[in-house]
Amino acid sequence: MTPPPRDGRRLVPAYLATTGRARPSRNTLDRLTVLHGAADPATVSGLRPEEIRLLELLRGGALSLAEAAAHLRLPVSVVKVLVADLVDAGRLMARAPIPDAELPERQILEKVLNGLRTLKSS
Amino acid sequence: MTEIPVALTVILSVGTAAAVALALLLARSAREAKRLRQRSATAEKDLQDALRQQAALAGRAQATEAEVRHLAAARAPDLTAALAHPNVPVRGLLDPNFQGTELDRALTAVLEQVSNAVTKERLRVDGAAQASMRGATTTIQALLYQLQTRLQTMQERYDDPFVAEDLLAADFLNEQALRRIQSTAIVCGAWPGLTRQNSHLGDIVVGAMSRLSGYERVQVTNQLRDPVGVVARAVEPGAVVLTELLANALHYSHPELPVAVTIQQGNRGASVIIDDAGVGMHAEEMERAQRMMSGQETTLLTELGDPPKTGFAAVGQLARQYGFTASVEPSPYGGVRAIVHIPGDPLLTLLDEEEQPMSPMAPVPRSNASAAPPVPSTLPGHAVPQRPPQSEPAAGTAASAYAQAGQDAAQQGAPSDEDLPRRRRRRPAPDATLGAAPGAGQVPAEEAPQSQSTGRHAQPPQAPQQPQASPEQSAERWAAFQRGTNSGRAAVDEGTEAGGANPASAAPSPHHGFAVADDHYADPRSAEGNPQE
Repeated sequence: MTPPPRDGRRLVPAYLATTGRARPSRNTLDRLTVLHGAADPATVSGLRPEEIRLLELLRGGALSLAEAAAHLRLPVSVVKVLVADLVDAGRLMARAPIPDAELPERQILEKVLNGLRTLKSS
Repeated sequence: MTEIPVALTVILSVGTAAAVALALLLARSAREAKRLRQRSATAEKDLQDALRQQAALAGRAQATEAEVRHLAAARAPDLTAALAHPNVPVRGLLDPNFQGTELDRALTAVLEQVSNAVTKERLRVDGAAQASMRGATTTIQALLYQLQTRLQTMQERYDDPFVAEDLLAADFLNEQALRRIQSTAIVCGAWPGLTRQNSHLGDIVVGAMSRLSGYERVQVTNQLRDPVGVVARAVEPGAVVLTELLANALHYSHPELPVAVTIQQGNRGASVIIDDAGVGMHAEEMERAQRMMSGQETTLLTELGDPPKTGFAAVGQLARQYGFTASVEPSPYGGVRAIVHIPGDPLLTLLDEEEQPMSPMAPVPRSNASAAPPVPSTLPGHAVPQRPPQSEPAAGTAASAYAQAGQDAAQQGAPSDEDLPRRRRRRPAPDATLGAAPGAGQVPAEEAPQSQSTGRHAQPPQAPQQPQASPEQSAERWAAFQRGTNSGRAAVDEGTEAGGANPASAAPSPHHGFAVADDHYADPRSAEGNPQE
């Protein structure tokens, strides 16, 4: 998943996407927040182009916020604002990333092992 | 006694002789006197003449002197003023009797010399001023670009909302500074200072508006049918032209009024139309703007006012150098309408949206935005990226109209799952109509793509084989081509149950896509970039 190559100087600056805002309306988002489109995609009318493109991007499946930012070629901070707006409008779902299945801690495993051994020996 | 008569005779004769002589003398002197009188009369007359002549000469000398004084006191200053301000009238001769005389010619020659000298000097001084400005702006511009890069990197690096917001604000300020410097540099004869790669026209328009405070008021409508791009060398100049015209529109309209921008594709190029509902321009201003934007006359810094208004002059320079056409006219909204036309032949190209996607902020093309969910991506032109827009003479609008008709039909057919989506084809089958009469092709034939398409969609019609194809014919072909490729993409996207490895030959079954997933758009971008896990 490499973003498209960025050759040359950008023509369209990032502040255009949010008219200069970089403080999202909710601060629950981070780079790994998983985004997926709302269940019933309403019409795209009334949305700004960057929002339409973000929704289009998510039509194919879920993406993390960082990935979406890379596809849109926008800074993460700006995409956070976009996402927060869309979540507020109910057009987008964002959830915290599901952590990798964690292995139990070594100490616990050792305790269990010891317990089993004592059971066996007794 | 005798002596007395003799003596008398002698005396008498002498007397007589004397009398005769005297008479003669008298007569002579009378003649002399008469001659003298005549001579004196002529002398007097001559004298009178001479006096008159002298008076006339003196008058003439006085008039000449007055004329020279007039030249020094009035005409020469008038001339210098007129050279600086063309509306100042230059007074003529004081005495119209001198018209056409040697004096007139001499004085005119003096004025010409003065005019030449002043003009040359002005050009020289202006050239020097421009050169020094160029030097300064080039350096500043380069520094501002570095700053831009730096700010951009920082925007990527720092996530903290407060920092990010400040960075965005700084970036915006930097863009505005760049725009000012750039237009000044261009008026001073510099090049735009930057070469970009081929870019989408929509990107250029939003890039241009991003350089202006008040850009929120700009509402861009994208009516391009194809992914039209501008060739690399004209990208930045085009952006500058649009920026200046947009700045004009924003500056001269109320800060709450919108500025409407429309991007249009024509047969011979693309146009950007900028409408404001502001204060408008007088006919005189309009005429001056038009003259400056034609780029035909050299502009002097000194003619641009104080502080110099560089907008129209910069537009004129770039229009001349790169081949744009820019014009202004009264807008139907009450303000000014500015139109930039970018000729297709040297300056436009078609871009592959998959290789080079548009900026997310660029306005969504009309065909894409208006197409409600059940229509696959309708961006035409992917399949033929080499095709220059002007190579299809009249097919353009017609093709899009047909494509639109096809979409409408598809939308109508889509709502029920039972119903197969129906498409209105403008021609029965491609193989049958490539050479058929256009009249036959006009008949819309409904067909269910699922059942019949395998053969019919098999080969998308190639570029017109007959050079004399009528506009309707080629419009049909392109429309069919676009529909074919679009449906092919849709089929590939949803897992190719139609079994088409070749997107062009795949039987389209778009309704499956709609039913199975929300994959309405089948956007090539999401197909390319999306992990779709």
